[in-house]
Amino acid sequence: MTALVIGAALFLLGGVTAIGAGSKRAGFVFASGAVLAQFFILPATLQVLLTGSPAALAVNFSFPLGTAYLRLDPLAAFFATLISFGGLLTAVYSLGYMKMYAGSRYSLAAYYFFMGLLIAAMLLVVICQNALLFLICWEIMSLASFFLVSFEHEKEEVRRAGLYYLIAMQVSAAFLLAAIVWTAVLAGSLDFAAFGKVLGQPGAQSIGLFLLFFLGFGTKAGLLPLHTWLPLAHPAAPTGVSAIMSGVMIKTGIYGLLRLLLIGGVPNVLVAYVVFGISLISGIYGVMNAIVQHDLKKLLAYHSIENIGIIGTGVGLGMLGLAYGANAIALCGFLGAILHVFNHFTFKSLLFYGAGVIYTKTHTREIEKLGGLVHALPATTALFLIGSLAISGLPLFSGFISEFAIYTGLVRGLSRGSVILRVALACGLVGLAFIGVQAVLCFTKAFSVCFLGLPRTPRDEPISEAPASMLAPMFTLGIIILGIGLVPLLSLPLLKNVIFQFLPAGTATDWDGLAELFSRLGLAIAMLGGLIVFFLALRWLLLKGKPVTIFKTWDCGYQVASSRMSYTASSFAAPFLQLMAPFIPQVVKVRSPRGFFPRKARYESHAEDFVAFYLLGPLRRFLDWFMGLFTWMQSGQTQQYILYGLTFLFILIIWIIFTP
Amino acid sequence: MMTTALHFVILLIAPFLFLGLINRTKALWAGRLGPPLLQTVYDVRKLLRKGEVISKTTSFVFRVGPPVQVAAVIFAALLMPLPGRTALFAFPGDFILFAYTLGLAKFMLVAAAMDTGSSFEGMGASREATFSTIVEPAFFLLLGSLALISGETSFASIFALLNDSAGYSLLVKSLCGIALFIMLLAEGCRVPVDDPNTHLELTMIHEVMILDYSGPDLAFLHYAAGLKMVLIATLAANVLIPLASGTVGGLLLYLFVLALIAVAVGLVEALVARSRMTHVPQFIFLMTALAATAFAVALFFLSGGF
Repeated sequence: MTALVIGAALFLLGGVTAIGAGSKRAGFVFASGAVLAQFFILPATLQVLLTGSPAALAVNFSFPLGTAYLRLDPLAAFFATLISFGGLLTAVYSLGYMKMYAGSRYSLAAYYFFMGLLIAAMLLVVICQNALLFLICWEIMSLASFFLVSFEHEKEEVRRAGLYYLIAMQVSAAFLLAAIVWTAVLAGSLDFAAFGKVLGQPGAQSIGLFLLFFLGFGTKAGLLPLHTWLPLAHPAAPTGVSAIMSGVMIKTGIYGLLRLLLIGGVPNVLVAYVVFGISLISGIYGVMNAIVQHDLKKLLAYHSIENIGIIGTGVGLGMLGLAYGANAIALCGFLGAILHVFNHFTFKSLLFYGAGVIYTKTHTREIEKLGGLVHALPATTALFLIGSLAISGLPLFSGFISEFAIYTGLVRGLSRGSVILRVALACGLVGLAFIGVQAVLCFTKAFSVCFLGLPRTPRDEPISEAPASMLAPMFTLGIIILGIGLVPLLSLPLLKNVIFQFLPAGTATDWDGLAELFSRLGLAIAMLGGLIVFFLALRWLLLKGKPVTIFKTWDCGYQVASSRMSYTASSFAAPFLQLMAPFIPQVVKVRSPRGFFPRKARYESHAEDFVAFYLLGPLRRFLDWFMGLFTWMQSGQTQQYILYGLTFLFILIIWIIFTP
Repeated sequence: MMTTALHFVILLIAPFLFLGLINRTKALWAGRLGPPLLQTVYDVRKLLRKGEVISKTTSFVFRVGPPVQVAAVIFAALLMPLPGRTALFAFPGDFILFAYTLGLAKFMLVAAAMDTGSSFEGMGASREATFSTIVEPAFFLLLGSLALISGETSFASIFALLNDSAGYSLLVKSLCGIALFIMLLAEGCRVPVDDPNTHLELTMIHEVMILDYSGPDLAFLHYAAGLKMVLIATLAANVLIPLASGTVGGLLLYLFVLALIAVAVGLVEALVARSRMTHVPQFIFLMTALAATAFAVALFFLSGGF
C-alpha cells in the first residue's frame, strides 16, 4: 500500500524535477520517474489482483479530513495498474512526440509537470476511501488535465476547447459534490464505508442519489448527453495527453460507477435499466458520429464515447443480473465491462499514438489530406491496422473477447426473465451488433484513407518511419492486443478477484463454466489463425515461380488518373450519412457559380453533433439571452459595484435580525 | 467425428454446384443452355495456375486480403452445422463468432479494395460496408428470436430444439427463412442488390471491389464468395427443414433444399431487375422488419400474450 503512494509520488516527483531539467532533458527525467514508479506500483497491484486480499492504510490529516483511509482492493488495483502502465507508455511516447515542441513557445516543463500531477491524482482517486479526499483528488485530476488540454494555448481553438473542457468537468464535479454532500449529511461521515448505509437503503432517496452520482461520473466518462466535451478536448490536446485521457482518465468515471456499486449495491432495477439504456445509446451514438468525422483525433474521440458505451452496457448488464438475482448474467456483464476497460485502454492508446505519428510526419489531422502513408510508415501502418481491427471487435484481437463476454450475458438472459428484460436484452444484442458493424465501417474508412491508396494532397518532403521511442509503446500495446485476442484465457486470472467483488458468494461454478467457454473460444480462434497462416502460405506457394507483374491500378480505360481521383473519406461515408440523415444534422454552405463566366464557387458541408446542435446549442442561446437581460447591472463603475455589495450586506443584516 | 468431417467436406464442395445451379437456372429461363454446371471449378482451377498483375499503388493489405477472406469464410464453415448435426466447433454463442469472423473478412476485403487507390473500387467498398450496417443487426435479432424460442445459444442446439418447439415456431421459422433469403441476396451481392454478371461500369458492389485482383487471389475471392452464400443458405435450410435428422435421408433432404435455394436465387436474378442503389437499403430493411416481427411473435407466444 505504501508502495503505491510512493509510486504516485514518484510520478509527481518526475514531473516536478522535469521543471528544473530544461526542455532537452525534461522528457528523460519524467520517463525515469515513470519507470521507477512501476517497480513500486505493479508488484503491489498485481499481488492484490492475484490474491484478492486488499491492502489498507490510514492517514491522519488534521481538520477537516480527519482520518482518511486509503484502500487497495482488487478493483482499485486493476485501475491503478492501468493508470501506472498507461503513464509509463505515454512518458516513453512523449520522448519522441514532444520533440516537435522543443524550442517552441510552449513549455515542455509544464507538460511533464501536469502529466505527473494528473497520473498521481488518478492513482489517489482510485485508492482513497474518504469522500472529501476523493473530491479533492478528482478536482486536481480535472485541473491538471485542463492545463494539458490547453498546452498549445496560443491557438484560439485550443483555448476554446480547454475552457469547454474545464466547464464540463466542473459540471461533473458539481453533480458529484451535490451527491456527496447529500450522502455525507445523511450518513454523518465522509467515509465511504458509512455511505453504504445510506446508499444501500431501498427507496426513492437512494435511487435519486445513485442517479446524481451517475450523472457526475457519466459526464467524466463521456456518456450521453454530456459527452460533448470529448470531441473538442481530444483534438486540441497533444497526442500523449489524448491517449492518457481517452485510455485512462475517462475510465475514472467508470471506476466511480463501479465503486458506487460496491458501496451501495444496485438500489433498484430501474437504475440498472437506466445505466444499460443510456450506455447502449451512447455506444450507438458515438460510433455513428465517428463515421462522419474527418479529423482523425475527433474520430477517435467519438470512438471513446462508443467504447465507454460498450463498457457501460456491460456494467448495466451486470447490474440487471444482480437485480434479478441471475449471477451467470451478472458475471458475464462485469467480466465484459472490466475486460473492455483494459482492452479499450490498449487499442485506443495504440490508435492515438498512431494518429500522433501521422501528425508529427504530416502536420495534419485532416484525413482527407492523407493517403498512401503505408509505403513511408510500414510499422505504424501495421500497428494501426491491429488497433483498428481490435476496436472493431473482430476475432483474433482483444476487442472481440470482451464484446463476446457481454454478448454471452445478453443471450444467456434472453431465454428467461420478464418480457421487459427480454426486450431490453434483445435491444442490447441488436445495439451491440450495430455498434460493431458501424465500427468496421468507420475504421475501414479511417485506416484506408490515412494509410492506403495515393496521397490525396501532394507531399513536399519525404517521410520516414517514426523513432523507436514512439514505436516501442505501440509495439507493446500491439502484442498485448494480439495476446488477449489469441489466448482469451490469459486475461481471466488477473480479473477474477475484481469481478468476484461484485458478485454474491457461490458463483465459482459460473466462473468455471465461463473459463471453459473461453478455452473453447480460444481453441476456435487459434483454428482461425491457423487457417489464415495456411492460406497465406498457399498463396505464396501458388505464386512461386509465376510471373507477377507490377502495373498501375485498373482505371477503366481512363488514362489520366491522378491521386485526386482517390476515393475520399467524405465519399466513403456519404451513403451511410444519407441513411442516418435524421440523426446527424448537416450544415451545408453553398456558393454556386453565377453568370456566364463563373469565377468562384464553393461547397462546404460538415456534420454536427445532434445533442450539441439541438439540445445544448439552444440551451446556450437561451442562457445568453436570459443573462443578457441583466447586462445593465454591469456598468463597469467600481462605485456602483461597492454599492451592490453594501446593499447585499444590508439585506443580509435585516434578514438575520428579523428571522427568529 | 468422421461424419462431421464428411459434412464439412460437403460444405466445402457445395459452392461449386451452388453457383453452377444459379447460372444454369438463369440461362434456362432466358432460353439459353448456359455454362456447364461445374464451370466454377474450371474457372478456379485456371486461375490458381496463373500468375498475377498487381497495382504499384498497393501494399501488404492488398496481398493479405484474399487469403484472410478465404480462411475466414472456411473457418465460418467450421462453425456451421448441417441440419440435424453438430458442427466441428460448437459452443454457446458460436453464432457471434460466426458473424464476427465474416466481419473480419469484410474488413480486410474493404481495406484491400481501398488499397488500390481507385475511386471505382472505393465506391464498392463504401457500399459494401454501408449495407452491412443494416444486415448485421437484423441477423442478430433473427438469431435472438431463434435463441428465444429454443432457449439455447449455439447453432446446433438452437436448431435441434427448434424442431421440438410448439406450433407458433412454424411462423417464426418461416419469417426467419425469408429474412435469411434476403440476407443471402444482400451478402452474396446478387440481384436486386447487386448484379454479379457485369464486370465493369454497371457493377456496383462486390465485383467492383475485386476488379484489380487476378490469378490465385481472384480464385480465393470467387470461392469465398460462393462459400459464404452456401453458408447463409445452409442457415436457411437449418431453419426451414422440419424434423431434420442426421441420417443419409436427412442429408439428401438438405442437399435438395440447398438446390432449391440456388434455383430460387437464379429465378430472382432472371425475373427481377437490379434496384437503384438508393433503393437497396429499403430492400434490406425488409430483413430487419421480418426479424423484428419474428422476435415479437416469439415473445408474444412465449410469455402468453403481453
